[in-house]
Amino acid sequence: MDAFLIGAAEVLSVKTLIFMFIGSIAGIIAAAIPGFTVTMAIVLTLPLTFTMQPLQGISVMLSVYVGGYTGGLISAALLGIPGTPSSVATTFDAFPMARKGEPGRALSLGVWASFFGTIISTIVLIFAAPPLAIFAVKLGPWEYFSLIVFALTIVASLVGNSLQRGLVAALIGLAISTVGTDPILGRARLHFNLEVLEAGLPFLVVLIGIFAISQLASEVEDANETSSGHAIIDRKIEFHTWTVMREVLMRPVNLVRSSIVGVVIGALPGAGGSIANLLAYDQAKRASKTPEKFGTGIADGVVASEAGNSATAGGGLIPMIALGIPGSAVDAILMASLMVHGISIGPRLILDHADLVYGMFVAMAVSSLMMLMICIVSMRAFLHVSEVPKWVIVPAVLVCCVVGAFALNNRITDLYLLGVVGLVGYSLRALDYPLAPLVLGVILGPIAETNLRRALMTDQDMTLFLTRPVSAIFLVAAVASVLWAVRAHLKSKPSQTPPKDTPS
Amino acid sequence: MSAETSKNMKEAGEVARLLSYLVLLGGSIALLVESTLIPKSRFEILGAGAFPILIYACLILLLSASSIASIRKLPKGALPDFFKGIGQWAVDRRLVFSVFACLGLYLTAMSFIGFRVSTFFFLLVLQIILGPKTRPALIISVINAVVFSFGLEYLFSTVFNVFLPRGM
Repeated sequence: MDAFLIGAAEVLSVKTLIFMFIGSIAGIIAAAIPGFTVTMAIVLTLPLTFTMQPLQGISVMLSVYVGGYTGGLISAALLGIPGTPSSVATTFDAFPMARKGEPGRALSLGVWASFFGTIISTIVLIFAAPPLAIFAVKLGPWEYFSLIVFALTIVASLVGNSLQRGLVAALIGLAISTVGTDPILGRARLHFNLEVLEAGLPFLVVLIGIFAISQLASEVEDANETSSGHAIIDRKIEFHTWTVMREVLMRPVNLVRSSIVGVVIGALPGAGGSIANLLAYDQAKRASKTPEKFGTGIADGVVASEAGNSATAGGGLIPMIALGIPGSAVDAILMASLMVHGISIGPRLILDHADLVYGMFVAMAVSSLMMLMICIVSMRAFLHVSEVPKWVIVPAVLVCCVVGAFALNNRITDLYLLGVVGLVGYSLRALDYPLAPLVLGVILGPIAETNLRRALMTDQDMTLFLTRPVSAIFLVAAVASVLWAVRAHLKSKPSQTPPKDTPS
Repeated sequence: MSAETSKNMKEAGEVARLLSYLVLLGGSIALLVESTLIPKSRFEILGAGAFPILIYACLILLLSASSIASIRKLPKGALPDFFKGIGQWAVDRRLVFSVFACLGLYLTAMSFIGFRVSTFFFLLVLQIILGPKTRPALIISVINAVVFSFGLEYLFSTVFNVFLPRGM
């Protein structure tokens, strides 16, 4: 109880609340701009939190996270363009609803569904994370290594169009993590006498380069679109805030089901808001008595998709807090922000830093409330964000990326590395390699290596990975995950083949 | 888009991916050899080189399989068509190349002329390249360049105590 009160007091201090308020606005604005993801918003926030207390910093990042999941709704509903990949299914019904003359209702439905989705996922997080962490403390290096193998197979099978390229990306991430000093004995390896590589590739520089720089470069691929802006469809927008709140609460089954889908998907390493958004929408459609109305602009579609993607925020924190494994790229950045402050992430986090964990729970609830208030009060003003042209945004955000990469270690060589990694990231993106497995490979690599070597230092018997029950379960799950992915890949192949006589 | 264009684009993408597999394969083989040269430890069974060897061996297997599958998928003449179309692709992506060229120059110049000046010119030049060539756009570009160069440096030095490069 003391730890809870200490955490809550820090989150509810005036200074933290002001920073969280700014963070919520920044998250909503960033995600409202088409092509700019929640991940990018979090990456850009990270250097600003270096000078803050750990809990204060992570609270601000959580407010950006929660705000970001809602911000994607704005361009999805008004322009039909998902502001973030996690708003794809939101466009299916929110955009037709806006087109039919109810843009305010579409936005309000999304905002309320996001709010309730986040609150439900926070409640699940509070009850699920502590017992899971207590269980995780009892796991040895064998179980941890097997768990990470399982996490990597899920990552590769759930992200992208190609299983092979997903696996290649994850292995490239693991390979990047081997550059520098080895995590057990500190022996230098694979640095080719380059000073910049001796301490290893800084995770955050790799992250900014891979996600942000490559995304920004891909935004300017279309020369005509780059120099133009987008216009909002209707200026006369009525929100009907309280009527819509009742409308959302009148759909309790849809709301809870979609939130649970979001929590479960968020808790799976590698699966994020984009999958939850689509899956929650799909489940709502299957369960509906009028599935044919989905896609024409009905409230159930908006509620399901937005509750689903917002609930992944809490879900993703479950494996991070309980096991020290990030559920998504955003969780990996949250994890990195704590590591920057010298806090080691793992099952002992909840035992050693209970105030921090309880503070995160409070911060989640406060963030969602803040997001709701900001959206209700100032939704009209946010609509202008979607009009900012790419030729203004792209160079400015590039500068923010450079500042973020420099501020980490105050090293100019990190900037050269950023440029190279950005170019590599863009090439991989253009070649249709999924980037999320690569980043998760970078962060999971040292954990996998440390536990593999620690396990074999403890006992040289390799069969222990198979004979210890929990480890065996994870390895069987990893094999099942790969087989399932291969089956899904083979099944989807015939449908991807274009018809031979397509008219031009 | 006609079916023929779509098919050509798909083939070009597959050739590009095949080339990427081969480049990554070459790199993985070189790094595998390098990893085997890492001294072994007398204190543990695996040593510092074992994990990289495992990773690069898996990469080599996967990339070899992907390369073979990709070669089998490609029809005859796909490679010459790919090289013929590469010029048009580069023209279509001219803005992306501009972004990376400006970024490279910007990062190189920063250590000599400092954050403020290099960022101002980077933003101004890139916005002029990407944006419409009109007077209002130019005014917005100048304002944006000033805010994100001089303004950002002021913010970081006074609020966050982070001092951005000042140049030589």
